[in-house]
Amino acid sequence: MAKGPLHNKIFVSLVGAVAFMFLFSFMLVPLYNVFCEVTGLNGKIYGPADFFKKKNETYERQVNIRFLSTVNGSAPVTFYPTETNIEVMTDKVSKTSYVATNNTNKRLTLSIVPSVSPGLAAENIKKIQCFCFTEQTLEPYETQEWPIRFYVDSELTDNVNNVYLSYTLFEKEREEAIVASHEH
Amino acid sequence: MSAVVENHDHHDDHHGPKKGIMRWLTTTNHKDIGTLYLWFSFAAFLLGGAFAMGIRAELFEPGLQLMDPIRYNQLVTMHGLIMIFGGVMPAFVGLANWLIPLQIGAPDMAMPRMNNLSFWLLPTAFGILLSTAFMEGGMPGFGWTFYAPLSTNYPNVAYFVFAIHIMGASSIMGSINVVVTIMNMRAPGMTLMKMPLFVWSWLITAYLLIAVMPVLAGAVTMLLMDAYFGTSFFDAAGGGDPVLFQHVFWFFGHPEVYIMILPAFGITSHIISTFSRKPLFGHSSMVYAMVSIAVLSFVVWAHHMFTVGMPLVAELFFMWATMLIAIPTGVKVFNWCATIFKGSITYETPMLFAIAFVVLFTIGGFSGLMLAITPADFQYHDTYFVVAHFHYVLVPGAVFSIMAAVYYWLPKWTGNMYDEKMGKLHFWLSFIGVNITFFPQHFVGLAGMPRRYADYALQFAEWNAVSSVGAFLFGLSQLLFLYIVVKTVFAGKKATPQVWDGADGLEWTVDSPAPYHTFDVPPKING
Repeated sequence: MAKGPLHNKIFVSLVGAVAFMFLFSFMLVPLYNVFCEVTGLNGKIYGPADFFKKKNETYERQVNIRFLSTVNGSAPVTFYPTETNIEVMTDKVSKTSYVATNNTNKRLTLSIVPSVSPGLAAENIKKIQCFCFTEQTLEPYETQEWPIRFYVDSELTDNVNNVYLSYTLFEKEREEAIVASHEH
Repeated sequence: MSAVVENHDHHDDHHGPKKGIMRWLTTTNHKDIGTLYLWFSFAAFLLGGAFAMGIRAELFEPGLQLMDPIRYNQLVTMHGLIMIFGGVMPAFVGLANWLIPLQIGAPDMAMPRMNNLSFWLLPTAFGILLSTAFMEGGMPGFGWTFYAPLSTNYPNVAYFVFAIHIMGASSIMGSINVVVTIMNMRAPGMTLMKMPLFVWSWLITAYLLIAVMPVLAGAVTMLLMDAYFGTSFFDAAGGGDPVLFQHVFWFFGHPEVYIMILPAFGITSHIISTFSRKPLFGHSSMVYAMVSIAVLSFVVWAHHMFTVGMPLVAELFFMWATMLIAIPTGVKVFNWCATIFKGSITYETPMLFAIAFVVLFTIGGFSGLMLAITPADFQYHDTYFVVAHFHYVLVPGAVFSIMAAVYYWLPKWTGNMYDEKMGKLHFWLSFIGVNITFFPQHFVGLAGMPRRYADYALQFAEWNAVSSVGAFLFGLSQLLFLYIVVKTVFAGKKATPQVWDGADGLEWTVDSPAPYHTFDVPPKING
């Protein structure tokens, strides 16, 4: 065979297929997020909702919202909702809060990831204010109360009467040096 | 003592193999490389088997006797990785190297040097993976599925990642070689539909490998970046998603399962036809069935993750798509049965393994159908029922087909017949051992025994003891296999070129043992 493998059409196209599939595996990441966003699967919520969105053919009703909290791994934080269960009217803004306490003598940076169950209700929970939009910082032994403002839009499917809002707290960074050592 | 000065005469035209170790290091001969692959896979099979013996010894009775749970997890992980990437896949690549050129009438593989490289990458990869055994932190213990973020927080994960990358590169090169060989080097007159089924099964397998091994490479790359470069593909703290990992992994993982079974379909078709002394029933429907299984394998991955919280529509889609695979698989089983029907059957060792393959693989297929039922899967998920299912399709499935292939083509490779009595003894010990090992795991799984634990509740004690005894029997009988193969390499009744009177195909037209170079002039295919 005088010609090298680079002159072989099948060889070249197979190498191309390998390169494409490698890139495709990375494309799965945005594809997956877009897919979840469009379909509202996996309880994913993106950004604050549009409060002034027009609605058609909706009616108001009462929905029961339950709040859950989880601390991931062994993050040294106490984290719980102030109310575990509230009744809200659709399209009315409600307010509640979570409390978090840093149990260490180091400054902690935290990120809190929300999830809505059932997943199909995720797009109907509109958060106006949430501690999950940004990272949170807790000073040593500090306790903070984090408010949430949200409403449930009335397009929520009829058969959903209970919605679970779950927040998982992750420790993102821990300051290395001990803060505020007293010198006398 | 003085060294003997070798005085070779290098003027002859015949290029035989080189002498000594350099023959194997530098070989570009498809038969040598096939032999290397097969011995490598045998070594991996014994090592992975030794790990399995450790697992079964620990599970012989409840409580922790021999090892702590971390060690146990390492054994489970390494058993899976070694058996899949070191045992089954290289065995099939070895068979492909030996048989594809012989079956299509080609002088060698299309890219012999790349062939050499793709073999020698494998010991490198496994050297890296096994070196973690001697390091602080030890071997990977996160399961062969390496779910993130468990694996990203594990020590020595970089060694695992690089080993997978190298194995992947080896598989991709091997597959490209297979496709190019089949597409370009068939003997004149051999149209695609006239190709033997083993060649067909490997053509489809190679395409699957080319499609999904890069996805595995992508998954481990993301894992590496999460672990060491501060990205958050799978880490929820940084906005990533652990479920995404499962999607990416199983997008590779499910086609991978068929990569490990399609060549077995090809092998079984040859052997059943030979020992039934009938042409295979439904040659082209076999090809279409394999192609449809391969295509469907890309749209069923999420049946491995029914319990992650998918919406009903997705659960239903993946359930029906999975069940659809039973149809082409059923076509294949039907064709094998129809080939046996009214044949003049003899039960030589390869035939025994092939029949056991059909029966036991079908049992594994049925438990797969049970697992495909979404609501039932919520009960079966992560229990020993799943372990029983995939061991039924992999051990008496893939591994039995490899053993059948070794017995069937060993006379062609070595020129000697194996000892038929010993072969049959090996078959019966393996057959009984495999069923004693894995059948009880259906029971404990349905009763709720979870996977991946070093300890279990007392109620599962009896069946686990039975299972362990079966595993020791199966494990020890493989030493008999080693003995039979080694004995056949060095001695035995001389084999004729035809070897089996019912065998059909180009490989039976060359001498036994097959000469170092075959089909320098392409054979002519008639009809």
